[in-house]
Amino acid sequence: MISNFITMNGYGLYVWLSFGIVFISCTVVYFKTKKTLRKYEQEFLAELQTLTLEEQNKVVENSRVAQQILATSSKIN
Amino acid sequence: MFKFFSSSNIYLLIQKLIKFINSIFFLILVIGLTFALILSPPDYLQGEAVRIMYVHVPSAWIGLACFSLITILSVFNFIFKIKNFYFINKSIAPIGLLFTCLAIATGSLWGQPTWGTWWAWDARLTSMLALMLFYICYILTFKLLNKEDLIIKVSSIISIIGSINLPIIKYSVEWWTTLHQPASIKITGSNSIHPQMMLPLMVMLLAFLLYAALIFLMKYKTEIIRIKKKNIKRS
Repeated sequence: MISNFITMNGYGLYVWLSFGIVFISCTVVYFKTKKTLRKYEQEFLAELQTLTLEEQNKVVENSRVAQQILATSSKIN
Repeated sequence: MFKFFSSSNIYLLIQKLIKFINSIFFLILVIGLTFALILSPPDYLQGEAVRIMYVHVPSAWIGLACFSLITILSVFNFIFKIKNFYFINKSIAPIGLLFTCLAIATGSLWGQPTWGTWWAWDARLTSMLALMLFYICYILTFKLLNKEDLIIKVSSIISIIGSINLPIIKYSVEWWTTLHQPASIKITGSNSIHPQMMLPLMVMLLAFLLYAALIFLMKYKTEIIRIKKKNIKRS
């Protein structure tokens, strides 16, 4: 039964290759997208660090996006 | 009403949606794969090779749907100048390209055992290849051009020209004699696909849609951060 499942009655190569290509491509795109997102979050925080403490507080107070990025980065770190 | 569509609210909504998709995605994927690879019956003619359908068809549908959406949003952006649509399109295009490429690759892998060839220059296959090229041109405008206004204009023109190809893809199997089989699933009229195959196909479609939505949300979130970073010194 397991052998039938693997060989798919002679179509195993085509079936597994199709599912494999989809799985690998989607996984690569997922991790690449996640990496880019993290990179931009880090760049945003680095940009925030260039401001004075007063300016930083003002940005964080006024921007919920900044608050969320700070919260995410503190979770990661 | 419009306050709800502020980038802060959209950002929070994106966070929640990403969490929600992450919580259900793997369960749906495992159910879909179990049905697609184990529980669904082999085809009376194609045998086990029919299982390729469960990745090929959702990929092709999402590839087409993404380009349709890009065209609609490009037209709206052209008329109403809503910048958000530009960022949405920029986030959708790579997903559409990915699924179009996957549809072509899996279609080729399905073609070899059923037609005896990896590729044929028939109407359906060639029009799908044209769609892939339109996606590549569309994405290249974001990479190669610098001015945002010019990018919006050029990318909108590409998407509008490319949209002519969409009905060609859809009706190519009816207008010309092709190796590709006619549509088995119709929105109007009866389907020629057995419910035992329809169910796994729909579950796999749902899994693919959730994946596409997840990637879109992550890309859109990246765009919001990029804009916020640019404006950080102004605020």
